[in-house]
Amino acid sequence: MDLMLTPDQEAIQASVRSFLDGELPMARVRAIAQAGAKELAPLWRAAGELGFFGLAVPEASGGAGYSITEEMVLFEELGRALAPGPWLGSVLASHALATAGSSNDELARVLAGELQVAVVDATSSASSIVVRGNEVSGESGYVAGADAGTAFLVVAPSSVVYVAAGGGAQVDRRPSMDPTRAIAVVRFAGVRGLVVADGRDAVTALLRRAALLSCAEAVGGIQRTVDMSVEYGKVRKQFDKPIGSFQAVKHRCADMAVRAEVARSATTYAIVSARDGAADQDFQVSVAKILASGAYVQNAADNVQNHGGMGFTWECDAHLFVKRARSFETAFGSRLARLDQLAASFREA
Amino acid sequence: MDITFTPDEERFRARAREWIEANKPSDPPVENDLEARRDFDLAWQSRMYEAGWAGISWPKEYGGRGASLMEQLIWYEEFASAGAHEPSTLFVGLNHGGPTLIACGSEAQKSFHLPRILRGETVWCQGFSEPGAGSDLGSLSTRAVIDGDDLVVTGQKIWTSFANIAEFQELLVRTDPDAPKHKGISWVICPMDAKGIDIRPIRSMAGHQDFCEVFYDEVRIPRANVVGQINDGWRVAMSTLGFERGTAFLSEQVRLTRMVGELIELAKLTPLGGAAASAGDRATRTIDDADIGRRLALMRAEVEALRSMTYRSVSRTARTGVPSSEASLIRIFFSELQQRVHALAMEILGPQILEWDADEQPVTTSLGAKRRRIRETWVFRWLLSFASTIAAGSKDIQRNIIGERVLGLPR
Repeated sequence: MDLMLTPDQEAIQASVRSFLDGELPMARVRAIAQAGAKELAPLWRAAGELGFFGLAVPEASGGAGYSITEEMVLFEELGRALAPGPWLGSVLASHALATAGSSNDELARVLAGELQVAVVDATSSASSIVVRGNEVSGESGYVAGADAGTAFLVVAPSSVVYVAAGGGAQVDRRPSMDPTRAIAVVRFAGVRGLVVADGRDAVTALLRRAALLSCAEAVGGIQRTVDMSVEYGKVRKQFDKPIGSFQAVKHRCADMAVRAEVARSATTYAIVSARDGAADQDFQVSVAKILASGAYVQNAADNVQNHGGMGFTWECDAHLFVKRARSFETAFGSRLARLDQLAASFREA
Repeated sequence: MDITFTPDEERFRARAREWIEANKPSDPPVENDLEARRDFDLAWQSRMYEAGWAGISWPKEYGGRGASLMEQLIWYEEFASAGAHEPSTLFVGLNHGGPTLIACGSEAQKSFHLPRILRGETVWCQGFSEPGAGSDLGSLSTRAVIDGDDLVVTGQKIWTSFANIAEFQELLVRTDPDAPKHKGISWVICPMDAKGIDIRPIRSMAGHQDFCEVFYDEVRIPRANVVGQINDGWRVAMSTLGFERGTAFLSEQVRLTRMVGELIELAKLTPLGGAAASAGDRATRTIDDADIGRRLALMRAEVEALRSMTYRSVSRTARTGVPSSEASLIRIFFSELQQRVHALAMEILGPQILEWDADEQPVTTSLGAKRRRIRETWVFRWLLSFASTIAAGSKDIQRNIIGERVLGLPR
């Protein structure tokens, strides 16, 4: 039993954090978030050079040969930085392409960061996509990080199809409530791709990985709200005292720290359960999503409150976390859907 | 990263499970029969001692099991999962008084007291809080004047559980009224049969009487009973706060997981609105209500997260060797969750909770085999749950600790 980071994981954490601190300070996040794939390209290539997209890809396929626990470390840092762009799709795609063992150079391009890949969840009720063989038709729900130049990982109920960039998908960008996460609706009219996973089990495994890595990303954001509030509580003075010395603020920060620890613990445990293929891994995914989602929404709101009038402005970063918390909540099995699923399991048992 | 236990740890788990299952006592006495509870707990402790399971976290040289951190975790998990009786009247001796003697006691104090605590021969109680010193414990004012070979103690303590069935008390007294408040306190072993001690039980809102007020009127305690140095009692008291390194509360966390399971069963058995059963009509079950279903689902997820949180905290302690400050995060999450679980039980039971006799105490706090008394036991436990955010440092103090010691916010 050990839920602490290994020395390797700590090294990955330090390397990713120093890269993101340098390349993606909040001002840069704001500047490139809405600009799309072109603006992200240099960042993507730099991340590719550092091996971010191949952590869990076998060494024989050009990756680092680690597992989802190391991807967790990466996504926590991405979430802490509120990194824009389709990181999740690119990481999932490299993993899926490698697992499929397809010997094309798409995998090499994804690993090198030459390509951005967005995930299209065609199992969600918002999607009308139908996949027959390697042919994709229909319209997606909102796809995070999709742009004209992106490739797509289309996750259908019983298979996963990789659609190359410029492969005929029509991308209709929509204004995004979450400024650091662009969205688009994507239309496929009989677009042909590459089947990279076949069968329900493979689809379930991919969606599980997607849900877990997005939870890890949320944990990073949740921790950032605690850090922001604590920092502000130490420097902002009212009544000649730092506001963090007042119990009203101090206790709110304490509650935020509790939620962060709860979310981190549940997510870490669920990710190791998935890595090991534990019998209760799907239950653990729901536990992680339910708690991370609740923690993110509440911590982001508390963080606005702790920043007072400034917290309500566009200029202050606090609102970006409020918005990201909601975009996280809706993806890959919402909190409410998972609560209902759990409740249904009690009724049947 | 690893969520499994080693083969050795699994063998330890199997041995613990087998022994607990074969030896756990049944039919504990009712809550308010303190003498019977004392006898029952001492007998159970003695059985654990004979079999080598007593003092799971105590060092071997003092007769304990000397178990590793992971073994402690496994032991408490198995103990609680088996629904084994918690010898709550012995908690202070085993988890606080004994460990304090191990850390700071003289050879004479250790050789006299430690075997008696472990073998199930003595009950200890705590004399820390006073009417004027609760969260601000350092301002305690019970005086002890040195007179020859004795301390002469005058004052009052409060919230002392089991004072009237205990042999000994870990007592904090002020030995130097002129020193700064944390520098004039001494930690003393007080024999509860000493002349001048007056004990008055306090009835709790749950109707039970574990608590007492203790009055000291020129009580003479041998100076040899001071643990550590005179005026060094604050440090002595703080030395064992992290003794069990986050495993001490583990069994109550596992019990809470069991309770959520019981609550889900209760919601299946109880018709919506709690009315006397139109039995067998599926549509009216409380569990079928969408709102109740979601709240139970959230609680099921929360107790699971609580376990992961504990595993993380124990992992950290195993890595660093020092108690993790995150224990206060777990404490807050646990105690508030425990209250939500019991409050939801009251909603599920509905009007059934109205008929309840505060004088008819249920059999301990575990549902156990007493299925026919489910309703009474839930009401009792719900009332008890109000203490969980007050005892052992109120939730407000816990939040100060997190704010100041974990997050580094200014005082």
